[in-house]
Amino acid sequence: MIPDRIIEQGTLSVRDGRAAVEVRLPWYRALPASCISAAKLTVDGAEAPSESLRWRMNDREFTFDEMRENTDEWWFPTDSVVLSGDVAVGAGVHRVRVDLTLYIPYIIIDDDQVLHIEEHDEKEMEVAA
Amino acid sequence: MTLRQAQAPEADGKGTPIQGVTLYSFTRAFHAREYDLDQLIRKTADEGFGPGLEVIGFSSFRGFPEIDDHFAGRFSDLVDEVGLVRTSLAINADVGLRPDRLMDQEELIAYMRRQIAAAAKLGFPIARVQISLTPDSMEALAPIAEEYGVTLALEVHADQYASHPRILALRDRYEKVGSPFLGFTMDWGATVTGFAPSLIEAYRRRGASEELLSAVVRLWDEYYEQGPPADQAEHGQRFGRFIGLAHEHGRPDLGIDFGINGTGLFGPARVDDWLEIMPWIRHVHGKFFGIDENGDEPSVPVADLITLLVDNGYSGAVSSEYEGWHWNHWQGPFEIVRGEQAIQRAAAEAAGSRMITDAAEARRTLDTHLAHAVRI
Repeated sequence: MIPDRIIEQGTLSVRDGRAAVEVRLPWYRALPASCISAAKLTVDGAEAPSESLRWRMNDREFTFDEMRENTDEWWFPTDSVVLSGDVAVGAGVHRVRVDLTLYIPYIIIDDDQVLHIEEHDEKEMEVAA
Repeated sequence: MTLRQAQAPEADGKGTPIQGVTLYSFTRAFHAREYDLDQLIRKTADEGFGPGLEVIGFSSFRGFPEIDDHFAGRFSDLVDEVGLVRTSLAINADVGLRPDRLMDQEELIAYMRRQIAAAAKLGFPIARVQISLTPDSMEALAPIAEEYGVTLALEVHADQYASHPRILALRDRYEKVGSPFLGFTMDWGATVTGFAPSLIEAYRRRGASEELLSAVVRLWDEYYEQGPPADQAEHGQRFGRFIGLAHEHGRPDLGIDFGINGTGLFGPARVDDWLEIMPWIRHVHGKFFGIDENGDEPSVPVADLITLLVDNGYSGAVSSEYEGWHWNHWQGPFEIVRGEQAIQRAAAEAAGSRMITDAAEARRTLDTHLAHAVRI
């Protein structure tokens, strides 16, 4: 569902050895932080270590650990969030990949199992000025 | 419009469904920021897709279910200005909001109460709720629905169907509770007659072979002949066979997609299965997937479904719910919704009635429809 729009073209930025990219929700309705289970950020095949990942949403920055129980901050379908992590990026064109795992909180697939979806997107882009 | 005309279809027991649309049909345009909420509402009115307007709370309203007075007033003014009629606010039974455990009953009722209050504040007479609510939950929600004057219409959606044991258990509980504020939303995705050709075309564009695509269509047709799965085990087996087909044809990457759509989106129940719950149908999702070059919906029997509703006296809203946007990147949603609504109107007339397209008549009819909600 709309996975082709996960990465916002032209939003790759680099600062102090960290890369950041704007990410869109591949789903039709808002989800809370607690339903954003995991992400990966990969540039030219190099994946940012998971403990270095940060998720900036509604002008606040979170680790995935901090989001696990958070049902107050919601990702609205037309908002971009910023996913960042420790990964080196030099000049030129880069292949950026984002993987997302989301829980869909109203689809219960077994007695106490909630449906999760895995979506990814890859785009080529230069570091934005 | 004279009073006699408005009442004429009722004289022979035929229903006059209210034409409308859910903004969900335009998800791709909203998500792409091509239209904001106000622009989408204006577009809906300008295109004549109303008068009925359905909105998904968590899709369209930032901060939902918190709705402040200023926003509610502005929303109401806009809907009135453009001549639309609020039909259903789709709300969500997010029992898995915390992925490590499901909500308990008390938390769930409190969560749903806030959304029902939002529906009332925004002026929607119906809230669409979902199958993750049990009969016990619906019974507990009935007094809250009555308090706010909002009918709860639980969506019967593929991969379930009207005669599915879970739906019959809800129906039986409604009968016992006897509240006129409990009912169902009929979703046409439960009674589909074929694997949507536009989705086949999307797989073709992803490089699937013609042999594989023919095999997918044949497998779905086989399940259609058998009817809907009796239980979850059979459902799982069907899912597995779609995955197997993808492997056999060298496209394992498409297997889960075939399975999800083939068993979860295109429900193979027959149209008259809806008779099991017909008196409790308060709202309809006119779910469909595309319009072909002949102006027909090739996989949803739109005309048969409208005929069934008209013949059974249904005079609530039908929200056209275009779901082909998931895969159809090459056609815009507006022309497709226009095509489906034309089929609906023609079918209602062929059945000896008509669809209501006038806002004032729609408001009166919807009031009557809901006031007549079942109390056994």
